[in-house]
Amino acid sequence: MAVSVRSLEKAFASLVGRERVVDDPVKLGGATIDGCVPRFIVRPAAVDELSGIVALACEERLAVIPRGSGSALELGAPPSRLDVVIDLRDLDRVLEYNPDDLTASVEAGVTLGALAKLLSDRRQFAALDPPGGTSRSLGGITATNAVGPLACRYGAMRDRLLGVRFVQADGVVTWGGAKVVKSVTGYDIPKLMVGALGTLGVLAELTLRLHPMPEHEASWLASCDTLDAAGTLVAAILESTLQPNRVEIVSRGALEALRLGAAVAAVAVSIASVEPAVAAQEESLRSLVRANGGTLNPASPGWWDRYGDVVMSSRVTIRIGTLPSEVARTVGAVERLLGPAVAVVGSAATGTLHALLSECQVQAMASAVGELRAMLAPFGGHATITRGPRALREAIDPWGPTDPGALALMRGLKDEFDPHRVLNPGRFVGGL
Amino acid sequence: MPVNSRFVDELRAIVGSDALVLSPEGRLAYECDMHTLYKGQPDVVVLPSRVDEVQRIVRLCRRERVPIVPRGSGTGLAGGAMAPTGGVMVAMNRMNRVLEIDIPNRCAVVEPGLINLWLTREVAARGYFFAPDPSSQMVSSIGGNVSTNAGGPHCLKYGITTNHVLGLTIVGSSGEPLTLGGKVWDRPGYDLTGVAVGSEGTFGLVTSITVRLTHTPEGVKTILALFATIDAASEAVSAIIAAGIVPAALEMLDDVVIRAIEAGVGAGYPGDAGAVLLIELDGPRAEVEMEAERAVALSRARGALSVRVARDEAERALLWKGRKEAAGAIGRIAPSFLLQDAVVPRSKLPQIMREMQAISARHRVLFANVFHAGDGNLHPLICYDDRDPDELHRAKAANEELLRACIDMGGSVTGEHGVGVDKAQHLGLQYADADLNFMYRLRRVIDPEGLMNPGKLLPSHPACGEGFRARRPVLPEGAWV
Repeated sequence: MAVSVRSLEKAFASLVGRERVVDDPVKLGGATIDGCVPRFIVRPAAVDELSGIVALACEERLAVIPRGSGSALELGAPPSRLDVVIDLRDLDRVLEYNPDDLTASVEAGVTLGALAKLLSDRRQFAALDPPGGTSRSLGGITATNAVGPLACRYGAMRDRLLGVRFVQADGVVTWGGAKVVKSVTGYDIPKLMVGALGTLGVLAELTLRLHPMPEHEASWLASCDTLDAAGTLVAAILESTLQPNRVEIVSRGALEALRLGAAVAAVAVSIASVEPAVAAQEESLRSLVRANGGTLNPASPGWWDRYGDVVMSSRVTIRIGTLPSEVARTVGAVERLLGPAVAVVGSAATGTLHALLSECQVQAMASAVGELRAMLAPFGGHATITRGPRALREAIDPWGPTDPGALALMRGLKDEFDPHRVLNPGRFVGGL
Repeated sequence: MPVNSRFVDELRAIVGSDALVLSPEGRLAYECDMHTLYKGQPDVVVLPSRVDEVQRIVRLCRRERVPIVPRGSGTGLAGGAMAPTGGVMVAMNRMNRVLEIDIPNRCAVVEPGLINLWLTREVAARGYFFAPDPSSQMVSSIGGNVSTNAGGPHCLKYGITTNHVLGLTIVGSSGEPLTLGGKVWDRPGYDLTGVAVGSEGTFGLVTSITVRLTHTPEGVKTILALFATIDAASEAVSAIIAAGIVPAALEMLDDVVIRAIEAGVGAGYPGDAGAVLLIELDGPRAEVEMEAERAVALSRARGALSVRVARDEAERALLWKGRKEAAGAIGRIAPSFLLQDAVVPRSKLPQIMREMQAISARHRVLFANVFHAGDGNLHPLICYDDRDPDELHRAKAANEELLRACIDMGGSVTGEHGVGVDKAQHLGLQYADADLNFMYRLRRVIDPEGLMNPGKLLPSHPACGEGFRARRPVLPEGAWV
């Protein structure tokens, strides 16, 4: 049965309260995503409310975009349509924190910063540090699989998410996984939700594995004369018995953006442990850097925050997956293809790099991304436009090519779980 | 079509006679895995050597609608690698090559039949190891580890199998090989690798696996602490974790197991010990030294009767001896046992151990406990005499009750062994109908014809059937025009 606009507004209001439904055109205009203006913004404050909203949207065949802090709204292709933005920031309760079990369950709108504040009393942390860090919601970090330098030691969200409650496209509240650190009961549904951009379900609650915060941490910047030298240094660090928690490659452009002078490239390293172990490893690191012709200096206080800010302040971000052994060559290729204005930072240990630009010439960039993909393809690398103007993401598929067999399976899952294309339609891989 | 002579001829044309097991005696060896309570002979066992053979086997079975049961070394503990409804068992043992070792990228590509420990042996000299270490690692295959998402003592620090699998090649029910993931992290799209790991063969036949290799730690310290009670030992576990230490392994044995070990091989445990706590720390040498000192002090402060620190590799092996002998030692006190591997939140260990004593008394069965204390993963061996049907009945009832108690405390039905046929009916304890239905539909997308390891992983339950509709939210009334 069709519902008029007026009664849709009433229906949403009866689910969440009038004050949580926005239909004021000015405010809606401010929530535009890629030029699509939503008809409603709805802010659920409980999982049941979220479930009702999605069910209603499905019943009426409305298109829904869930959002957290809004830092990744340019990720993926422009939406094929948009009716309702579901703002998840009021799902902001920490439901359980069990320090003795090193686990916490939170609603999807809880920010990394809010969780970190709670955990720091017990010297624990979530060991997640995506760009944009503390203000980002944990639901958003999960849906976009946002990843930062700490993945070097701790892995990413896929290694952290133990359990997940989500709302399927028809509104059915569903749970997958467990609240304990080890469970193999049935399919590993949490894995399916990480990086799925909410296209199989809207994330409502997350149970995370936590880590003890190391007692002592120190960070350094090793400057190198050539990109190749940086690559060799990275390989030497990763081959050694050092146990760094971050090993980042920092390109010339990134050093300039950070106002760090004239080196061609640098490697940023942090080591965390008990103090004597950090001191002992610093000695080993120093000799590795010396042997590879670099210069090691302590990083200034607040370095990692500024580092993350550089990623967030770009106009265009391309997330690149490359092999650790190909990191220096990949940085070189990016600099050659995107010109001297590009800044590249990322984990040399995991091969996840971010290419950053403050301006965008659509056609030139689209063809550069195409060439970059061609360079990465032989060893399974990939490049995704995670931020950029709509025109760029129309000129070239922001996700790049996907293996046809795997894509067919992904399409099968989407057809099964969201046949009416209610959730984030058109934004995900393969137009899903 | 059933498995008849024409079907067997076609299989023979694919793999040759020496790769088929047809005789009843031969197939007997394949009728169960290590969970010997569940038996089901396949109609034929086939041992392919190449991916193209695997593809042709799957296409043939699909054409003739014959179920496929994958099998590795058959060391599973949940009744996963047996054929409840007959069909073709595809044993992957001959596909056991290391295809590539890539040290600069700290990964390897292997075939599924490769024995877990062989990979570590292959890369140890270069300073690496394959971290998942199920107790069966000397015989279990990496394909089997992937299928069950196997754990092990050192998973406390290093994570379970899924945290070490970067990519898979799978021949799905269509017969086409599917490449998922790979050496490069985080390929865009759904993490199908993550879903396939632990899918117990329902995704298809895995033909190659890209695994992560982990650096051999610079230092290792093994500590053995004896306590008067499980409670005291559990408190030491909590204190160690609260101090911010994540040991590589944190294993516990209870008094029943201690007595069984001492009655047999002996590991030098005193008779008055009610619990043995084995603590292993690894990492940078200076870190291990300091954490070991702290772990020793914390154990003493929680009333340890004695604390021993291994001084060398030989002593380390000695301290581990009791732990490794545990399951064998139980054989001396009971002819048979049921083994389960439910999980509770670590902080609930003392509570679940008390509950277990009550259950044991109620059902008049003996529990012996050897478990991964660090992650709350229990391994109670529920002893019974298989000549006494009533005892088996009581053991099963006690098992059931214990599972419920673990779930009531916020735990999980299985921590590392997997579901198989053994625990399929218990999934409803942990999951609501909507959750089960989601998994059922996921399986139907992956394998629409239900050929891949039928009867395993998911229960026969209304929520896992056609026509089931999850209860949807009630939409507001009066809004309609």
